[in-house]
Amino acid sequence: MMIDNVIHAAVVMTTPVLLAALGGLINRVGGLVNIGLDSMMLAGALFGLIVASMTGSWPVALLAAAAAGGVVGLAMSLAVTRLQANEIIVGLGFLVAVAGLVRFFLSSAYGSSGTLSLPDVARLPRIDIPFVADVPILGAILSGHDPLTWAAWAMVPITVWFLARTRLGLRLRAVGAAPQAARALGLNPLALRDLSTVYAGVMSGLAGAYLSIGVVGIFNEGITAGRGFIALAAFYFGRNRPWATATCALLFGFFDAFQIRMQGRGIPAELVQTLPYVMVIVVLTAVAVAGRRARARRP
Amino acid sequence: MQAAEEKPDPSIRLGARGVTRRFGPVLANDAIDFRARRGTVHAIVGGNGAGKSTLMRILQGVDRPDSGVILLDGAPASFAGPAEAFARGVGMVHQEFMLAPGLTLIENLILASEPADGFGRIDRAAALAKARELEALAGVSLDWDTPVEDAPVHVRQIVEILRLLYRGADVLILDEPTAVLAPAQVRELIALLRKLRDEGRTILFISHKLDEVLAVADEITVIRNGRVVDSLPRSSASREGLAEMMIGEVLARPEPRAATAGTPVLEVAGLSARDLRGHAALSGFDLTVRAGEIVGIAGVAGNGQDEIAASVTGLCRIDAGTIRLAGADIAGQTLAQRRSAGLAYLSPDRAAEGLCLAAPIAENAIAGHHRRPDLCSRGVLRRKAIARHVGDLLDRYSVKRASDRQPAGSLSGGNQQRVVVARELDGDPKLLVACQPTRGVDIRGIDFIHRCLLEYRDKGGAVLLVSEELEELVALSDRIVVVYGGRITGEVMRGSAGLEEIGRLMLGGRQG
Repeated sequence: MMIDNVIHAAVVMTTPVLLAALGGLINRVGGLVNIGLDSMMLAGALFGLIVASMTGSWPVALLAAAAAGGVVGLAMSLAVTRLQANEIIVGLGFLVAVAGLVRFFLSSAYGSSGTLSLPDVARLPRIDIPFVADVPILGAILSGHDPLTWAAWAMVPITVWFLARTRLGLRLRAVGAAPQAARALGLNPLALRDLSTVYAGVMSGLAGAYLSIGVVGIFNEGITAGRGFIALAAFYFGRNRPWATATCALLFGFFDAFQIRMQGRGIPAELVQTLPYVMVIVVLTAVAVAGRRARARRP
Repeated sequence: MQAAEEKPDPSIRLGARGVTRRFGPVLANDAIDFRARRGTVHAIVGGNGAGKSTLMRILQGVDRPDSGVILLDGAPASFAGPAEAFARGVGMVHQEFMLAPGLTLIENLILASEPADGFGRIDRAAALAKARELEALAGVSLDWDTPVEDAPVHVRQIVEILRLLYRGADVLILDEPTAVLAPAQVRELIALLRKLRDEGRTILFISHKLDEVLAVADEITVIRNGRVVDSLPRSSASREGLAEMMIGEVLARPEPRAATAGTPVLEVAGLSARDLRGHAALSGFDLTVRAGEIVGIAGVAGNGQDEIAASVTGLCRIDAGTIRLAGADIAGQTLAQRRSAGLAYLSPDRAAEGLCLAAPIAENAIAGHHRRPDLCSRGVLRRKAIARHVGDLLDRYSVKRASDRQPAGSLSGGNQQRVVVARELDGDPKLLVACQPTRGVDIRGIDFIHRCLLEYRDKGGAVLLVSEELEELVALSDRIVVVYGGRITGEVMRGSAGLEEIGRLMLGGRQG
């Protein structure tokens, strides 16, 4: 059924954005706006694929991707927190530098330009739920998805709980909102900020691996297609609230899935592929305008 | 100077011996000595630039002295940072509050020493029990789940004090704690401090408000120009004596003559406006200020006075009403149009709105006048004319400076405000909207700025004065309009009512 296919694809395309957005959300709560999420996704996608091919094990591949993203995150965080570099400039620098390094690595290690296809790549398994799988729509929503998708959605309430109820969550919020005050109380704002950026890197690395070993099974230097920026839009628009952020990620996933269905129907593919990005801008603008109107009406 | 070895006196909970701190050529602290005995309120009094903040930073471990030592329980001590000062029982309530926005009151209370289980989950019941205990101690009742930004200032201040107690501090350093409070709240604070003192805690009360110092302190140390002028018990201190020590001479209060109010300059009618968050702040507000008259607006912070000033100056949009300046409706005009129509404005936030701290004094002094033909021709600034103009202007206002080209941020608070006052009164405006004109200014600066306002009024200027300093309002205003919840609760003519009556109106009481 077509509608089931679109729903299934929407869930799939939401996962990478959701993972990166939840990481970026924690990072922003901790006081760093991470515009380099996309570079961490790219690193995770590449190392995830290589390790999946080497070991034949998807959990090990995910660990490798998380580590790759985390290392990029740590490097970026140290540049911002210890060298007092501007977070926007450093983020841009990492986007360009990681893309360049990836291309260099592909050509020098594999002699390939832009695309890497490896043998015996362990793909993420699908979890089929008996009976539910046969129910229309519900089956497409719940069944046939991989563990990382389930983990990503489980992280939404966990993130809510973590920020509101745990010591680390409270400290992270304090450090992001009032670093001076937190320091005066004996907290270490820079270390907490580094920790949150490493977490953002880990989550983005997983998001990247999801694209390479979950969705397509090969690596391409354009594999992230700017999803790190969509993630940025998601947590910005969700104002650091995990459920609102997830909704925004889902919105993108839906249009991404729709776009895939629209391909090959006479409209140029390049144009169709811009649809999810354009729609995210349109919807976010519309919601923001509606919100402003509602506020203006309130007495 | 050789630090004489003295026997540690444990009754001295916190003190300083020969603390000296130099910033470049400026000696901010010059051999400061003081001793705050356990279980007393010790006030440190001084004007702007007297060296109070530097001393506080040293006592907090944020800064280190070049020579001299902190005394803790009578013995020399040094703090690696604020965390260590905390660990040894010394905590501080800063002038700009240090609560984290976005967190609730209770989250701020427990921050950095949260009751939690082995998994890092916060034990909210334990936290609340502790909060209730502290609440009872302070004799207040708080809604602990309120986000910080929704709590009134005096509540935030209480939470800061309770946080120090929560963390086990028994030395409380309070930096200008009454600056943001209404008179009744000041009395509550003083009562709380006395209670804490009676329980054996030591309080260091930093202030330049002598009446409050005299009301709360057991001992008083006066500092001026980085040096201790004297340390004396409360019983032998007097207001005049302290003032003289603070500024080195006696200032006569300006004695304003009776106003001869003329034609209306500012006429506000039916004004409705909202605050930054979109809540109604003013509704149907009427106000008139005449030439040769100073009209003061009294109110606890957040009762609409900021919106009155912002509506008149054009910094906020209004929902309804008319605002006339010298007869012409300016409600729809831009800020620039209002300024050229004769409006001048002293912003309450000098650092953000009053000045560009990074820019030279000269540029700050002509900002807003930069279109005047004598300063600018065909869009090109006339540097020589500006230099001459600024030099004269700043000399007239006795701005202490090394050069007109130094950044405004390098001036002391009092001198910064003189630059703003000089600029705003330059060019004979019709109306001056003066918000917190002496906030963060020392006694001498306050006196000077008050004289400027009175002189301007006597020349026929109209002043709308918004101030949290009741004494200032009473000293300067010909009329005081009291606002509460965006409405006028009363109007008091010069000399007809005391501080108590105004304070009652400020808290919502009706005029009897």
